[in-house]
Formats: sequence, structure tokens, C-alpha cells
Amino acid sequence: MKKAITKDILRDELFSGDKPPAELLYNRYGGMLFSYIQQFVSSRTEAENLLVSVFTRLATRLEAAFESSLSVYCWLQIETRKIILEHRGQDSEGVISSVSGPGSPGDNKTFYFSLLQDASPEHRWVFRELFIQGRQREELARELSKDQAYIEELLRECMQIIRKKLG
Amino acid sequence: MHANNQEKIRLKIQQYIASGIIESYVLGLASPEEASQLERLLPFYPELQAALSDFEFQLELFSIQHEEPPPPGLFQKIQDRVRDLPAVKDQPSGHGERRGGRSDDDYIHVKENSTHIRVHKYWRIAFIVIFILSKLLLAAFIYYFIQYRHSEREMQTLRDQQVKTNKAQLSPETQDNEK
Repeated sequence: MKKAITKDILRDELFSGDKPPAELLYNRYGGMLFSYIQQFVSSRTEAENLLVSVFTRLATRLEAAFESSLSVYCWLQIETRKIILEHRGQDSEGVISSVSGPGSPGDNKTFYFSLLQDASPEHRWVFRELFIQGRQREELARELSKDQAYIEELLRECMQIIRKKLG
Repeated sequence: MHANNQEKIRLKIQQYIASGIIESYVLGLASPEEASQLERLLPFYPELQAALSDFEFQLELFSIQHEEPPPPGLFQKIQDRVRDLPAVKDQPSGHGERRGGRSDDDYIHVKENSTHIRVHKYWRIAFIVIFILSKLLLAAFIYYFIQYRHSEREMQTLRDQQVKTNKAQLSPETQDNEK
């Protein structure tokens, strides 16, 4: 089984020249990102196409990953999410549709959502709308007729649940 | 006094960590303001850096446990696409929530020393049409130029013939006059 590695180890591997960077990154993170992408889309084919897009676009931007305060994997996840949300803006086909209102059915139980299984429907809804749908906090607050601080508190609690589950 | 201040700062940092900022930042859910504030504080507080590294490590382990191998042949597609790309340069950008306006990712930053540019695929059709039109215009120009030269030559021949005829008509009269 793979092990989590530090940025320095990965940098050494990348610059050793044994393998092209794109291949090295794909072998290391391809499967992880493929699972990650499947949280956002309902079809496997769509996830495959997005994975191709992600590696095509990010393989040329690796210097930014090393300059970031994040680990390479976390940087890849964030950039992948941006590409997915951008893709959604261009073509909404195949993306999990937004389900309005807390407690509505349609929660994705895979990957990060498995960490929020014990959370309230309202927590899961906030996380899904912010993370999967890429909506803004103020939008959600408007929809629930609450203030933004309420949404931020729910998000904070979601983050605490995730940290507790991972730890 | 100094130790007291240190303790206060340590507690504030612990509260800051407990606010879920690290998790929001790593998952890309922090607002741009929250993200830049954390990035500013990171170099000064080792506890923050430790909390960040710890969460990243846990997240990576979780992702390794849940990874699903992509179908075979997918990497070949990526290689083909990467090979077709011109060199691009990244512009550092903060990460956060999606904004209403255009983000840096909406643009491709082309390296200044690159010999390639990326243009919309419709330009290919436009270039072909322009190329064909230019060839047709060139052919038309050559055709009409040759026609013009040909007509000029015919005109010249006719003019020469007329001069000769005139001379021939004039010659008997001149001879008669001389007589």
C-alpha cells in the first residue's frame, strides 16, 4: 500500500528524472483524484474525462504546487475542484444536481461524505452546497433565511467532525 | 509578564486552530480573506504549521485508503493531450471559494519565450478560407493581367497595321505630287 509522502521526497523524485513528472504524479495521485472527482459527478465517464483534463492542465503547473503552503496532494485536490466547478459552469450535464433545502435526499455517501454520516442533515447540506456545488455562504444564508454567521458556524462544525473522524 | 503573553498567544492560536480554519483551507472552502490571513500567520506560528501538516497527512492517508484505480489507457490520453499543449506558465493564485467574476484559471498564461500561441479552433476554418480566397484572387489577378497584356499586344499590332496601311495609302499620293 502507498504511503503519504512529504513535499521534499516528491520533489526529489520529480527532479531525479527517472520518470516524466506527469507519469510520476499520475501513478501516485491518479487513483486518489479519480475517487475525489467521483464525489462531484454522477457518471464514471465524466470522472475519467475530468481526470484527463486535470492532469493535462496541472502537469504544466507543478512549480505552483511546490510554492504553495499546501502539500502537493492537497494542492492537487483544490485545483481539481476548481477545474470541476469551472467545467460545471460550461456544461452542467453529469454533475450531481443541487438538492434544495437541508434534509433533502441525494446526499453522496462516498469519500468526504462518509466522514459526515453522523452529522445532521443540515450540516451535510451546508457541506454539499459549499464543497460540491461551489456556492457562496451568503447564498446559503439567504436560502435558509439566516445570517452568514449561522452558515459559518455549521461549516466550522462540519470541519471539526471531519478532523475528528480523520484523526 | 513575558511568559503570560506567550501563554495568551498560544491559547489564541489554539482557538484559531479549533475554529476549523485549517480544514477549510485544505479543502478549498476558506474565503480568500481567511486563506490569506492563515498564509500570513503560518511562518510565525509553528503550531499552525504542525496542525496543517497533520491534517494534510490524515487527509492523504484517507484518500489512499479510498483510492480507485482509473481505467487503463487513461494515462495515454493525458500524455497525448500534454504533448499537444504549448508551454504554459503558472501565475500564483490564492485559493478559496468560487467568485462571481473571472478567476486566474479562466486564462492561460503563455510563456514569453514560447514560440506557440493557442487560438480558438474556428480560426483554423478562417485561415483555410482566407488562404483559398487569396489563391483565387492571385489566380484572377494573373488571368486578368495576362488578358490585359494580350489585349495590349493586339492593340499594338492593330496600331502598327493601321500605320502601315496609312503609309501605304499615302505613298502613291506623294509619288504623284512629286511627279
